[in-house]
Amino acid sequence: MKPLVIVLLIALCVLHHDVWWWDTPRPLVFGFVPIGLAWHAGISVAAGVVWWLAIKFCWPSELAESEDAQAPEAGSKNGEDAR
Amino acid sequence: MTTFLIILGYIALLLSLGVFSTRLLKRSSGDYFLASRGIGPFMLLMSIFGTTMTAFALVGSTGRSFEKGIGVYGLMASWSGIIHSACFFLIGARVWALGKKHGYVTQLSFFRDRYRSDALVLLLFPLMVGFVIIYILMGVVGSGRIIEALTPEVRAMRHVTTEVVLTETPANLDIPESWQERLRYDPATSTLSLDGSIHPKRRGELYRMNGVPPTPAWRAAIDDLAGRAPTGAIPYWAGMGFISLVVLFYVFFGGMRATAWANTFQTIVFMVMGVIAFLVIMGKLGGPVAATEKLLGSDAAVRATRGGDQIHKLQFLTYCFIPLSVGMFPHLFQHWLTARKASNFKLTVVAHPLCIAITWVPCILVGMWAAAELPATTNPNSVLGIMVARHANDVLSGLIGAGILAAIMSSMDSQFLCLGSLFTNDIVVRYGRAFGLAEITDRSRVILGRAFVLAMVVITYFIGLTQPGGVFPIGVWCFTGFASLFPIAVAAIYWKRSNKWGAMASVVVVAVLWLYFLPDAFGGEFLIAGMMPVTVILAASTVTLIVVTLATPPPERGIVEKFFPDGGARRAVDLSE
Repeated sequence: MKPLVIVLLIALCVLHHDVWWWDTPRPLVFGFVPIGLAWHAGISVAAGVVWWLAIKFCWPSELAESEDAQAPEAGSKNGEDAR
Repeated sequence: MTTFLIILGYIALLLSLGVFSTRLLKRSSGDYFLASRGIGPFMLLMSIFGTTMTAFALVGSTGRSFEKGIGVYGLMASWSGIIHSACFFLIGARVWALGKKHGYVTQLSFFRDRYRSDALVLLLFPLMVGFVIIYILMGVVGSGRIIEALTPEVRAMRHVTTEVVLTETPANLDIPESWQERLRYDPATSTLSLDGSIHPKRRGELYRMNGVPPTPAWRAAIDDLAGRAPTGAIPYWAGMGFISLVVLFYVFFGGMRATAWANTFQTIVFMVMGVIAFLVIMGKLGGPVAATEKLLGSDAAVRATRGGDQIHKLQFLTYCFIPLSVGMFPHLFQHWLTARKASNFKLTVVAHPLCIAITWVPCILVGMWAAAELPATTNPNSVLGIMVARHANDVLSGLIGAGILAAIMSSMDSQFLCLGSLFTNDIVVRYGRAFGLAEITDRSRVILGRAFVLAMVVITYFIGLTQPGGVFPIGVWCFTGFASLFPIAVAAIYWKRSNKWGAMASVVVVAVLWLYFLPDAFGGEFLIAGMMPVTVILAASTVTLIVVTLATPPPERGIVEKFFPDGGARRAVDLSE
């Protein structure tokens, strides 16, 4: 699934550059939204869907593990103990 | 007056929220700066979205769409939907895990530990503070102008006469009867004189008195006259100061907890108000279909496209680098650390592009429709206000004014808090001993943080008094600086071999190029070979990071083992051999 999500993200970036509708407002989506704007609103919705796939199938397992770790007091260490 | 009372009511509500959240504040710096790392998914989404959306989300998007057409959505909103979520997923959640594990409070404490370099932090600190101050300046200037425009008109100081000598004889001057008592033109001396105050919203009427569109000389004369005459509204300086004090109040007393609560509340307010403004204006224009058809039948039909000379294709493509700035915003970094758990980021990653669409699409449509309604000479920053004033009543104007201020304040609060955090945690605590501050108590950290924030806000306020140019170029140049530093954040998390030398060289390159192009950037729309300048600075910073890193020794084994525990140490050593 991870390669598919990467392909979809690249596809979103490519489709973002929609030069084919650069100079025309028509067709009007719902009778009033110029196609160039509707396309990009669609890109935003598609981004939400692709990111949903990303968190569903590509969420790093180490992040889930880190949730169980105990946090030190904020600012108490700042890594200085590791020196 | 109703409009102004509604805005005052909104601010009173916000202050109450600040006082309420103060009661929940635990008296520790961990709670003050990071809300004890206890923020849930919805508040995280709202506070991150509210922080990334400034006044530009409502006022600027409408104005830019009026000026540059619908391409503004693709330029800023849809790119942000893709890139911001990528930053939250790839940087934010991982930074949260590292922050929780090692106790980081600020972005600089993370970089100091990862690159083991005080010099890097001392290089980054002034740069970050400078960028954040410019970012705050956008909000401060915007709030001053909005309060000035929304407050009721007062005809005051009638004894004061302001005069301007015209450099060009006005060929079509026609002073309406309602103005003749106060405004006079003397052809013998070419002097235009005005008695008493003038509200900023009247400037458009003066522009039109000498024909439409006004000549540049007439426009300049009116700007000079209106700039020097008393203002018949709450003055710009008072509006700026008032909003700064409101935000300071709830940030000082409630810290990150109050900021997160206020952000959530304000984000909901500006999203809802944007949609309401859209529905009301759409209804008054005879419905969406009629409004679009009217535009397409007008001289401004090109606004429904990206054609003409509105947006260049290379500019459209390279604008994708600007949203990378969220990966380096120190105030957003701090918000990331407030999450209760990493999985709380999931809602933000998915919903952020959708929230952008909900906020931006209506504003872009209103700006586009306004092109068929208003003269092309209209100040873009006033388009939303004028459309609301024309098509809505005072109550709605007040609510939308509150929404605009909400968008501004929901970014300013995080920036104020972040400045305090950077100063106390990365400078005072670290270097305090050298200045006789042997032991700094938890309480002292909070107080020192507040004092630094106050000093920075005062500086920003005085810069704001000079009325720097448009909010848009200020914002884009600020984002260019942050985005150009993005490679050091990526390298810190994903490149085991990256070291302090590469990071420092990259920061120096960004600082030099950013300052070098500064005069061009503030002079209006600035492109390099048709591309956004961030493309050039980001490329230079990335190449420098890679080349200098590879030309210098790899990081110590201890660093690699700490940040890349999955066998990275072995690989880093191999690379050094």
